[in-house]
Amino acid sequence: MNEDKFPGHKILPYILIAPSLIVIFVFLIIPFAQSIRESFYTSTAFGTHSIFVGLRNYMRLFASQEYRSSVVTTFKFSAFVIIIGLAISLGIAQLLNQKIKGVGFYQIALIWTYAISPTVAGVIWASMFAPATGLIPYIVSKVSGGYSLNWMTNGDLALFIVAAAATWKMLGYNIVFFLAGLQNVPDEFLEAAQIDGAGSWKAFWRITFPLLSPTTSFLLFVNMLYAFFQVFGLIDIMTKGGPGNATELLIYKLYRDGFIHLNTGSASAQSFIIFFVISIVAIFQLRIATRKSIYSR
Amino acid sequence: MAEPVNITFWHAMSGSRLGVLESIVDGFNEANPDYEVVPLFTGSYAETLTKYVAAYPTKTGPNIVQSYEVGTQTMIDSGAITPVYEIPGMLGETWDWAQYVIPITNYYSVEGNLWSMPFNSSTAMLYYNKDIFEEAGLDPNKPPSTWKEMEEYGQQILDSGVVDHVYSTGWPDWIFEQALAIHNHLYADNDNGRSGLATKVVFDDDFGHMIFDTWTRLHDKGIYIFGGSEYAPNTAFNSGQIAMLIQSTSSLAGIINSADFRVGTSFYPRFEGYPVGNSVIGGGSLWVTKGQSEEELRGVWEFFKYLSREDVAIQWHKGTGYFPVSLGALKTLLDEGWFSQDQAYLTAFLQILSGRRDTAAATGVRLGPFVAMREDFVSSLEKALAGQLSPEDALNEAAEKMNLKLQDYLELHGQ
Repeated sequence: MNEDKFPGHKILPYILIAPSLIVIFVFLIIPFAQSIRESFYTSTAFGTHSIFVGLRNYMRLFASQEYRSSVVTTFKFSAFVIIIGLAISLGIAQLLNQKIKGVGFYQIALIWTYAISPTVAGVIWASMFAPATGLIPYIVSKVSGGYSLNWMTNGDLALFIVAAAATWKMLGYNIVFFLAGLQNVPDEFLEAAQIDGAGSWKAFWRITFPLLSPTTSFLLFVNMLYAFFQVFGLIDIMTKGGPGNATELLIYKLYRDGFIHLNTGSASAQSFIIFFVISIVAIFQLRIATRKSIYSR
Repeated sequence: MAEPVNITFWHAMSGSRLGVLESIVDGFNEANPDYEVVPLFTGSYAETLTKYVAAYPTKTGPNIVQSYEVGTQTMIDSGAITPVYEIPGMLGETWDWAQYVIPITNYYSVEGNLWSMPFNSSTAMLYYNKDIFEEAGLDPNKPPSTWKEMEEYGQQILDSGVVDHVYSTGWPDWIFEQALAIHNHLYADNDNGRSGLATKVVFDDDFGHMIFDTWTRLHDKGIYIFGGSEYAPNTAFNSGQIAMLIQSTSSLAGIINSADFRVGTSFYPRFEGYPVGNSVIGGGSLWVTKGQSEEELRGVWEFFKYLSREDVAIQWHKGTGYFPVSLGALKTLLDEGWFSQDQAYLTAFLQILSGRRDTAAATGVRLGPFVAMREDFVSSLEKALAGQLSPEDALNEAAEKMNLKLQDYLELHGQ
């Protein structure tokens, strides 16, 4: 029985967890409930007047071609950031895990991207690709004989550049964790494999990769959250969702509808949808990850 | 001695404009020891408005807030505002509103009454690089005055190979609104939303489509390069990568200071054979929060009077390129030869003062969900330029989305 743990102090456990509960209620549960309520209303900008509209905010979102394309864009973007990003990071981490001269320098050079603020990263990438003044459109134009590379009118290109910038920005973080993971792989295992005649490719996939799985599943989750929520600053600096709606990720659309267009009803509905989708993905991912990961050796 | 009354002032002026604003505020505080205006930079216009919306219900808002022109209807409908025209009466004073530049005060007036204090007003005009004109074999003192000439001159400049693209524009949404107003064409019904809340947009007709077609065609020929929103394309113009720029007059001081070529300015190009209207006002104005004590209101009013003083209006104009809002300041500038030193500063004035001001179409657009609607416009223009949609479908798509927003606004704010 639980009471036995605190004999004579029935309320004590509740008092002890009260501070955390209060924080969770005030900062998470109550605002969450409020935004669910608001998603059924349409309100004036200053909140002076609201009309109950039932599910209309949701219906409009699902019916809106823009919202659906924002969903597709978000998934494309996330897939790029997660899959390409993790693959490159793992590759680089593997290279950095060699015993070569000056490896400390390489490690720092490749990791420091994480220390750059999204604003600075956004400005660097945006000015590199600036249509009339940027270095890369200039090179492309010289090499191709006049092709004008303009990401401000080419949606696919814009999405690719933003995704590349986001991936680049996250590389450092991923590399640090992969590197730590790789350094925990016992050399004896790899030596044993070598003695048994396994090539380094085979040894990597049969030994290193499975042993890295706790790191990989953690990074999968962190990168998903990053791709869904934390790329806001980069998008805001680089494209503001344009051209057209080519780089309007769900989180950015929510911000624009809520804070620029002052349409709290629609923004609340969108936040609930994102919450719902992320919860499902997260539950699946954690289930699979905890089942498949090899935590002990 | 009594403590000075604090007047909080939220604004969105960044960059070089911030310094000018702060020195004006310091000047006021020095001259008026009874009051202390406390300016606070609250981010972009949109961010400032968001903060104001959040602060108002909790009574933690400022005495004065700066809002952009597209936020005008939102502010009028907010119920949070004391209209500026009522303030002198509340304090037992009278004030002659006719001393301001009329096309500017008209924009911020409802039924002839001024709701917010014009502060940083601008309009759109054509900037061009005289050196590039000359290199391409064009007369540097003959900028294009019609869109047909934009195309002809543009082609000639392209063929000469001096630059890869000829022109770009800031604020594409606003530049489109200018094109309508300059030809006395309405943007939305109910007199551009000025005689009642607008119910639908009316630019999706032959004229609007013709503008969209022209821009798309110039883009396809490589004459027009889409350079992003707001002030992003200025860099390309300043570095001589493009020959012309259609941009807010508030960029003038910045462009003149950073260009190492001869800068020419001229009127916004016209479409031949269409009626004459006027270019419209953009920028921002100052709004006064309702429910202040008489003491605070008096401080606000003293500050507004100070801003209208000739020397202060001139300081603001010279520091930024925004219009000086009072006619007196305009005359003084003329007398001291400011405009003949650099007549580029005169272009915008002549443009707004020479246009008509008796129609709603030439006065400017006022819509509730204007911020969101402008984005619909830009995203449609981007789709047309990228070839994702035909110019006609793109403009119609924008109109459709905008109409839905106007309907929603009506549902909430209609009687």
